[in-house]
Amino acid sequence: MESVTGLLARSLHLLSSILLVGGAATLLLAGPSDRSTARRWEAWIIRGCSACVLLALASALIAVAAQTTLLEGRPSAAFEPAALSRFLLQTQGGTVWLVRGGLLVLLGAFLAVRLEIRDRTDWRAARGELALLGLLALGLIAGASHAAAVEPGTAGAIAADVLHLAAGGVWAGGLLPLALLLRLAAREDGADARPYAVLTARRFSRAALAIVLVLIATGAWSAWLQVGGVAALLGTTHGRLLLAKLSVFAVMLALALINRRLIPRLSGEAAKIGRPAMRRLSRLVTGEAALAVIVIALVAAMSVTPPARHSEPTWPLAFRYSLDNLVAAPDLKGQVLIGSQVAVLGLVAVVASLLLPWLRLAVAMGGAAVLVGGLAVALPPLVSDAYPTTFQRPTTPYHATSIAEGRAVFAEHCAACHGARGAGDGPAAAALNPRPPDLRAHHVALHTAGDIFWWISHGKPPMPAFGGTLSVDARWNAVNYVRALSAADAAKLLGPMVQPDKPWLVAPDFAFAVGPTPPRALKDFRGRKIVLLVLYTLPASRPRLVQLAENQGLLATLDVEIVAVPTDAAPDAIARLGADPPIFFPVVTEGAREILDTYRMFAPAAHSELLVDRQGYLRAIATLGGDGTRDPNLLLAEVQQLNAEKAPPPPPAEHVH
Amino acid sequence: MRAWKVVVLLNLALAIGVGWGYLWWGQQARRLERDLAAARVAATTTGEREYHATGVVRAGLGDLGMLVLTHADIPGYMPAMTMGFRTASPKIVESVNVGDAVRFTLRGTPPNLAITAIEKTAP
Repeated sequence: MESVTGLLARSLHLLSSILLVGGAATLLLAGPSDRSTARRWEAWIIRGCSACVLLALASALIAVAAQTTLLEGRPSAAFEPAALSRFLLQTQGGTVWLVRGGLLVLLGAFLAVRLEIRDRTDWRAARGELALLGLLALGLIAGASHAAAVEPGTAGAIAADVLHLAAGGVWAGGLLPLALLLRLAAREDGADARPYAVLTARRFSRAALAIVLVLIATGAWSAWLQVGGVAALLGTTHGRLLLAKLSVFAVMLALALINRRLIPRLSGEAAKIGRPAMRRLSRLVTGEAALAVIVIALVAAMSVTPPARHSEPTWPLAFRYSLDNLVAAPDLKGQVLIGSQVAVLGLVAVVASLLLPWLRLAVAMGGAAVLVGGLAVALPPLVSDAYPTTFQRPTTPYHATSIAEGRAVFAEHCAACHGARGAGDGPAAAALNPRPPDLRAHHVALHTAGDIFWWISHGKPPMPAFGGTLSVDARWNAVNYVRALSAADAAKLLGPMVQPDKPWLVAPDFAFAVGPTPPRALKDFRGRKIVLLVLYTLPASRPRLVQLAENQGLLATLDVEIVAVPTDAAPDAIARLGADPPIFFPVVTEGAREILDTYRMFAPAAHSELLVDRQGYLRAIATLGGDGTRDPNLLLAEVQQLNAEKAPPPPPAEHVH
Repeated sequence: MRAWKVVVLLNLALAIGVGWGYLWWGQQARRLERDLAAARVAATTTGEREYHATGVVRAGLGDLGMLVLTHADIPGYMPAMTMGFRTASPKIVESVNVGDAVRFTLRGTPPNLAITAIEKTAP
């Protein structure tokens, strides 16, 4: 975690870099003037820019020292030239600081040199260069931001960040110079610059409108990349900082809307309307700038917290909304549908009221009432209980090893009440009120893995809490086992035939090895091959294995990899298959135990064939006919079916949703 | 000096700086590419080579003088897979059974390699 000094230095650095860009951009917007008040204003801005360069360089030094400390893990590193140069020269973040520092020094030198400004060309060149160098120094921050770590699509993420920074710099940084100009012009002796100030305010207001749109668009894109969801927004530090930033930004926008209305009055009669309006606008714009400082501090804090998308969210509410509820209770669909349509109607009315020339308030209020009413009808059926861990992902993946370990945990701590297979029929179950539920029931799938983790950790009366006795990994393993129990029960719906375009059951991952070869995982085939997992028992399975060996070449051309697992998990399985006929597909000699522990739950027959599609979904489970074989054409037809599926569905999430 | 001239010079210097930086990175990339090409040439140089690897016997095709092995990674030659190899003598095919874990030696001029020695390892 970044130190307070580092955070403060970063905030100051960002603030001064933004003021630099804003000052130069506002000068360019205002254009050259020969009025004495306007020239005084310009001189102040230039001096302010010089101060900002110094401030930016000083705060950059402190921020670099703080970051080096963090990187090296010892406070003294901040003063060691070797450690500093390691950070600056050997990390991308350091190089970006170095280049930006160089640009700022160049900018400082450019400001310090006395330039000969004879005409408008000179003026534009000088101020334009100021803005260009400032924008370069500001925009390069994106090269060391969270955007630079996005993969894939790094270039797009960085481009959005650069645009966001530049737009933010021109707008937020321009507020203070504008307020200053308005205050100068509102004075008794500022009469000469009043038309100039009015023109500048108008241009700024017009530019701000476009800039705010750019800010919203690029901000939304970055938020999608870095946060990506409601759970991450509400449940992580980074997400909550973004929420705080957005609320301050909303207040700024409201202020900006008020300020827009003042602009026509600026050119009114000076004594009564024009000057008071200028003073008022100057005050309001200063207020906006003060809010911008808060936003900048929040942005600096966001830049040092890990992106929400990559943190485990702690859900702050006791409930959540889930559309999955409708799967369990389809009769509520109508209510939700009607409620949501009413709500949309209300929303349309609220939006339309802004465009109405009359009855605006009445229509808006009515619309809001309809909106709230619609939501009151639509939302209650979607409410589910939620816990702090609801949206957390398992620390152990949905993998045969984890499921096997979860099974052991379950047998020791859970089976007494929940029953050996999770049916709620354990020996101790009869005495309990309420009785333990059937964990294999469909509704278990409506709860997230995080929900189950919370219940295991904190209990759910009369179930005791295991948070104190079981490690975090052990609890997640138990969650994975319960999920596999539920999935195995659902797998009864799978037949030997593939249901076209209906993948829904994720195949638990597993690792296996053939002889001395390095272990491979089911996941390695994802996106590349269809896997036929064959659980075989000798000697009954021999005719079928011969059949598969004969068809292996054909199946390979159809992109099918056969993985055979002996149900006795014998390490000498290959030798036992014998030399005739030769069998060339992988026969698992290591890892068979875990695969069987998990997959026998799905397919208990002595010989089963499980078809896993390219996306990692279990699609069909077949057993053998009376003669110990199966028509080869059946398997080929299923494979053809999978190969013919057009738009491959997205691969299943690594973990439960 | 007139301001616009200063700005033009400055931007020229900046452009040169950026170009120089780009060239520097580009040079580095080219050097890497050259090294890679050299490594590739070294990898495919003609001449007899020898590889050692482990595997498990899947089938012995005595009449063809071939052994089908599921083998581990053969560094510098090929990744782990199941495939058939020619053998230098029929004795090699006869000396092992299906399912045996083996250590073997491949010798020859790629891609014409043959198993010249094979021994069983503890399973």
